[in-house]
Amino acid sequence: MSIFDLMRAEYILIYAETIRRKSELVLMILYPYLFTGFVLLLGYSAGSLEVFKSRIGVDPAIFMATASFTVMSLMIGVDDVLWRPLWDMWIGTLPYLIASPVDKFKLFTIMPLPRATLIVLLGFTSLLPLYILQYGLSGVILVLLVTILIVIGVFTMVPLGVLLAGLIHSIGESWRILSVVRPIIMVLLGAYYPRFYMPLVAKLLSYTIPPSHIVESVQRVLVGLVDQWLLVLIAASIFLTALYTPPSRASLKFWEKRKVSEGVKIS
Amino acid sequence: MSKAIEAKGLVKRYQTKERYGFFKSKVEVVEALRGVSFTVNYGEIVGLLGPNGAGKTTTIKILSTLLLPDEGEAYVAGYNVVKEPSEVRKHIGLMLTVERGFYGKLTGRENLEYFAALYGLEREYAKKRIDYLIKLLELDKLGGDYKLFEEFSLGMRARLSLARALLSNAPVLLLDEPTLGLDPPSARRIRELVKNLAHEEKKAVLYTTHNMFEAEIVCDKILLINKGVIVASGTPGELKAKLPKLKVLILSLYGQSVENLQRTLGDLGLKHEISSELNIHTVRIHVQRPEDIFNDLVKKLVSSGFELLSARIEEPTLEDVFIYFSEGYL
Repeated sequence: MSIFDLMRAEYILIYAETIRRKSELVLMILYPYLFTGFVLLLGYSAGSLEVFKSRIGVDPAIFMATASFTVMSLMIGVDDVLWRPLWDMWIGTLPYLIASPVDKFKLFTIMPLPRATLIVLLGFTSLLPLYILQYGLSGVILVLLVTILIVIGVFTMVPLGVLLAGLIHSIGESWRILSVVRPIIMVLLGAYYPRFYMPLVAKLLSYTIPPSHIVESVQRVLVGLVDQWLLVLIAASIFLTALYTPPSRASLKFWEKRKVSEGVKIS
Repeated sequence: MSKAIEAKGLVKRYQTKERYGFFKSKVEVVEALRGVSFTVNYGEIVGLLGPNGAGKTTTIKILSTLLLPDEGEAYVAGYNVVKEPSEVRKHIGLMLTVERGFYGKLTGRENLEYFAALYGLEREYAKKRIDYLIKLLELDKLGGDYKLFEEFSLGMRARLSLARALLSNAPVLLLDEPTLGLDPPSARRIRELVKNLAHEEKKAVLYTTHNMFEAEIVCDKILLINKGVIVASGTPGELKAKLPKLKVLILSLYGQSVENLQRTLGDLGLKHEISSELNIHTVRIHVQRPEDIFNDLVKKLVSSGFELLSARIEEPTLEDVFIYFSEGYL
């Protein structure tokens, strides 16, 4: 079985679902702008631009737009994996997916890639004019660096997504748990609220999320701290990803076993 | 002939909860299968025939590795469904509910391409196979090739579902009520195809249905299943021959009261079924020699205020066989 054929199939499925569902396409394009606008509005009402800049060290518009891009891209690594079994169950494709000979871990690892590609490309084109405006031509290099880091971040998020998917879907009414787990991960990533300012417990939890180190490295790039720490953070993220991969495979097997022992619903 | 499917003493229990108010509940164990054993050979269509809740879908789910049995063993294409699910999955074509189970925003062809990738088919082979199946199931004539699945009629969905089951050219086909809710032309097309697949391509087909007529014309062998037990098996002819030498006397009567009719027939000690529409009642009476009771019966019915509209004698149908074996009251 070619992994490329599987990837191609997933890309066609997700792009058809996105492009042929117009509301989803429009929302996907507008989402980063809406989110940035909302957060900036909230920020303006709470304090001034100067206070933000002095505390964080980055222009708030750049910070918020980058944070939106980062969170949107990284959360795809969790979202598409976590919600997919529920979606497949609702539309009745789950039994065929389980009863097919495909390696489920391979399939689930591929699942977030199509939407992540779309989001990364959209995010790149959204950020580019803003960075050029702020940093001049060197903004092009900066936005490329940020995009590359985010792409690494997406890959490092997937095993955690698969691990959680396996565990959460083994429990009944998983969608309720999902709606709690998802925002927690979003906060712990530290994109909007940098890890540096988090309370100790949240900070420790944040360290266990592989792409949170990528988020920190993006923030370091934005404040101009491009040093060896960047590599350390990327290495930490990759190390955690490697650490999460075997349990995520096991968790998916556990989910499949659990599903089969209680019976996969077919109607 | 080798065995394509072998089930040995399959038992499956489900736990259900009876609720009393918000907090109290009682767990009840329901036995969906109670020691089901059968075999299916290559080139053979075996019908699993039974009413709703008889255990047909549970059997299909176990054989397709979607459910673990509590007891017993099952082999598909020689592989154990519990110990070797990956191998089993490579050797089965599966058709479950026809109206769902595809991605709505993909066309019929794109859906098949997606599932071909899941089944690990090489892209070139998959393309040829999909072209062949779309033509075979006449989906191209119905526009199913390029229409989105969400725009498909039920008949087109059933055809696409069968196409998916045939994608990997698996030697064993598990088809769960493939013609349920279909219009006659689509149902007939699917039945013809299934027969060809078994008899020409030597595939083993397990075909569940609760349609007696369909079972009789499609299946080479029938397993009658009721309340999780196979109550009888054989060819349609063999099953009918297993009945006591009974014939069916069918009377059409006009009269006011069904209760009165039931009382009259009950007084005569005759096993019967009544179906009524307006004031016309059709009575099916199972007896060995209808001619012996006919005159007395008609006299009694007329004296009870019924008018005889027509009478005929028929050989028992598969439905009669099913009622005899499942309810045992003929």
